[in-house]
Amino acid sequence: MADVQFSNLEKDILQELMNIGFGQAAADLAQVIDLSIELSVPDIQLFKASDLRDHIANEVDSETEFSLVEQYFLGKFKGIALLVFPAKAGKQLVSLFGLQDQRNAPSERLELLEKEAMIEVGNILIGACVGKITELLNDVVIYSPPRVMIQDVCNSTLPKNLFDPDSMAISMKTVFHFEQQEISGQLFLIANHESISWLKTALHAFMEQYE
Amino acid sequence: MIFNQISDMINMGLVVIDEDLKVHFWNRWMALHSGIEPEKIVGQNLFDFFPNLNDPKFLRNCRSVFAFGNFAFFSQKLHRYLFPFLPAYSDKARFDYMQQSCTMGPIRDEEKNIRYIFLSVNDVTEVVNYEEQLIEMNRKDVLTGIFNRRFFAQKIQEEFVRSRRHNRPLSLIMIDIDHFKLINDRYGHQVGDEALKAFSTRVLKRIRKTDVFARYGGEEFACLLPETSGSSALVLAQDLCRIIAEENWICRDVKLQMTISIGIAERQPDMADSDALLKKADDALYEAKSGRNQAILYD
Repeated sequence: MADVQFSNLEKDILQELMNIGFGQAAADLAQVIDLSIELSVPDIQLFKASDLRDHIANEVDSETEFSLVEQYFLGKFKGIALLVFPAKAGKQLVSLFGLQDQRNAPSERLELLEKEAMIEVGNILIGACVGKITELLNDVVIYSPPRVMIQDVCNSTLPKNLFDPDSMAISMKTVFHFEQQEISGQLFLIANHESISWLKTALHAFMEQYE
Repeated sequence: MIFNQISDMINMGLVVIDEDLKVHFWNRWMALHSGIEPEKIVGQNLFDFFPNLNDPKFLRNCRSVFAFGNFAFFSQKLHRYLFPFLPAYSDKARFDYMQQSCTMGPIRDEEKNIRYIFLSVNDVTEVVNYEEQLIEMNRKDVLTGIFNRRFFAQKIQEEFVRSRRHNRPLSLIMIDIDHFKLINDRYGHQVGDEALKAFSTRVLKRIRKTDVFARYGGEEFACLLPETSGSSALVLAQDLCRIIAEENWICRDVKLQMTISIGIAERQPDMADSDALLKKADDALYEAKSGRNQAILYD
């Protein structure tokens, strides 16, 4: 098995790279689609793929109901992005995205709009963050259609086709906050075992530009 | 060469546009369903041919794909379609336009710069058609075509919660056709069935679109009246009693008289859930049935 331990130096590089990537993502989101968003300094952790549930449970308030947007990204950097919103954020996102005012729409239609708003914002936010990181690391990824689930986050598991439960996964977490609306949430980028080895190589290549 | 052939053979639409939204590629599927040949549209602005696409959401997605290289997904559930094409199969057309599920993504040059974006278009009309049929079957009573008890049970819970949250009135009326068993016994079930249909149609005419009218059991019906006080519901109920009693019903050439009994309840602040409201309306109906052809408001 390849060495998946991250040295402190590698962690620092990854942290720095994510700062740059997320900074660019936030700037572009504001410029390209008029979406002002703050992204916190990312937090990086390695854990066993089968421990995802515990990992996320540690990070979120288990008392609250959440909506979860899930999307695969597939490149050399490969894994799953999880966007965690408080369940009530759907309504605010509908107005943020200027989706039609349908207060009198049937409830199933409203629910659909909320889901679509979460998918839309998830798709763009995940695309911007993953896109910028992989761009810095000279990789190109493609994406699966995002799915939205309203559920107990702690029931999440990683898809077995991408994650061997016994292998390591790396999680990069950031807290995001929309400035126009009081909406905050968490974004987890979870890359699989194969990506970790690639990531180490790519990080060193990234550093060499500056050496 | 291989890919050109494939893109003209696959059963989906493929379009490539540049940053100025000029069309660079238009596959045969698109030509077939739009009636626009590639020679006519390639080099032209996509919006000149499809002005409906010129909306903020489509543009936002184009910009984001060019900026981030992400994919954008236009689900049928939200968009119905991007390109207004006629449905490919004309039988039992439920939809005026082909229902589509579309994807948009980046196309890069050798330096990995995004030069174009592609749009793929899938015809999902048939699937959506089945889906909607299933949803409808799940909600409607087979005989009368009004809502069934399952859907009603779901709506009453939703409306109860909504009315409590916004502190708005909500009333429920339960209707029972008097001595309905006699119609079945005397004229047979076919006449009885016709009578139930005719009755449902008549009630539908009198109530509002936002009211939820459902067949609750054999000859028992329920109607949920959002934004309606008990006293307004009583007025409606008395009106229904009169309309039904005065109507000259002819079902399968049989002349019938029908009367109904109605129990009414309005949501009260002390009611814990929708079951409590149902119980009160049921109690009122029981009382109404003792005299028949009357409406009683629970108080």
